[in-house]
Amino acid sequence: MDVEILKQITHNVFLVKYENREFLVTKSRFKPHYGERKFSDFREWIPYRSKLAAMILNGYTIDFRPEIKMLYLGAASGTTVSHLSDIVERGYIYAVEYSARPFKKFLELALERRNIIPLLKDASKPEEYAGIVEKVDFIYQDIAQKNQNEIFAKNAEFFLKNGGEGLIMVKARSIDSVAEPSGVFNRVLSELEENFSILKHGKLDPFHRDHIFVHVKF
Amino acid sequence: MPEYMSEYKVWFGKIYEKDSEFEVRKCDDLVQSFEESKSEKLGKLPFSLKEVGIRVFKSEEDYYFSLRRTAIQVAEKEVEKELKGSERYLISLLKALDEIDLGINLFSEKIRDLEEIKIDENTENFRRIVRDLKKLRRDIEDEINSQIAKLMPNMSEIVGGIIAARLIEKAGSLKKLSSLPASTIQILGAEKSLFKAMSRMKKGKKAKTPKHGIIFQHPFIRTLPKSLRGKMARFLASKLAIAARIDYYSGELKEELFESVKRKYEELRETSKTSKTSKAKSRK
Repeated sequence: MDVEILKQITHNVFLVKYENREFLVTKSRFKPHYGERKFSDFREWIPYRSKLAAMILNGYTIDFRPEIKMLYLGAASGTTVSHLSDIVERGYIYAVEYSARPFKKFLELALERRNIIPLLKDASKPEEYAGIVEKVDFIYQDIAQKNQNEIFAKNAEFFLKNGGEGLIMVKARSIDSVAEPSGVFNRVLSELEENFSILKHGKLDPFHRDHIFVHVKF
Repeated sequence: MPEYMSEYKVWFGKIYEKDSEFEVRKCDDLVQSFEESKSEKLGKLPFSLKEVGIRVFKSEEDYYFSLRRTAIQVAEKEVEKELKGSERYLISLLKALDEIDLGINLFSEKIRDLEEIKIDENTENFRRIVRDLKKLRRDIEDEINSQIAKLMPNMSEIVGGIIAARLIEKAGSLKKLSSLPASTIQILGAEKSLFKAMSRMKKGKKAKTPKHGIIFQHPFIRTLPKSLRGKMARFLASKLAIAARIDYYSGELKEELFESVKRKYEELRETSKTSKTSKAKSRK
């Protein structure tokens, strides 16, 4: 029944071995949120559920400092946010979600974590929460919208500090459902390059098909 | 009362600017000021929200404590409101849409009758009204689609806003729809022909139960040859039953559902093509 730590990836993120299988986990004192397993102090981070976990397992890591302020667009029911909340222990996450039903579940999470500020808002209208959200170090976006690039740029304009970073999860099919994914990705990347410098991009296969992540700097 | 250059509504109150000086007035009711800050079309703030906030709340810790507590209170209120009112709103939108359709058809017919006799100012005006109605119809349809996408992302992905809304209307609510079996969803809207078939069967006569109700309007069913529509309808309905349950209980989008429906459709399209060609060959 013991958990063996194989590797520390970044603050509070580990690769562990349990019952001869490897798991990506975050160190957490909270109970499971979305049906993930818990081994002693660690919460399993399921790559099929969270695109950020898929990115890390595909070999790319972003070093989140534990005290940063973050704006998270598209929180849904809080699968990824729950792990980010483990990581940025001393910081704050402003989590924006548009749809009320998953947000109900998300509020359970926000109630137990002191570093989550829930906002039921439309991410494409940052002016509606400009009087609430401060300047942040990092913007994470996972919203699967046709104009998600535009939405990201708008939010960065409002809230991202100079030199701040962002991570965008792009789903080819929600931008253009018939075009070839690689063509869509190239278009997205060149659009992003107008406002940001791209640090890294890559695929999320095999966990999420026809998705890429893009890590940018403002 | 001194004159201010501009006024900013932020979550903890109002901030007045004059000659690059900022004066803060904290609101006593934070929930109210938090809700009001959204309606204001703010540009980028010329000051640091957090710095001003810390001045008001005395410490960083208190600032975040109040912010988080207020945000949660407001969010709980809004979630409650959204989930309660949205289905009734949808159903009334849908009814309005149907009435407008009736109106457009009726008017278009009358215009044609009139224009056969004489084209004048009146027919012009009449046409304009129908154009306006059509625009109204489009706007309402857009509103339904966006509401449905918010309320039930999975259903809306699979069958689109209008059909999803009709299913909700027929079932009564999303809650009721989510507890229906797939076979009921399949023939929802075809009750009349179902009961007709059933009463015939009772009498010992031959009868066919309907293959599809509302979901027939979906292009994946409509565009298939008759012999395959039942198969597709069964598959679509079973996926819709799953989608309705996910939408009601979790609300998160699951892409695999629509992809499996699409694959099934393409499969059936293929079989219909090959069976056609083989039939043609055997005829030769």
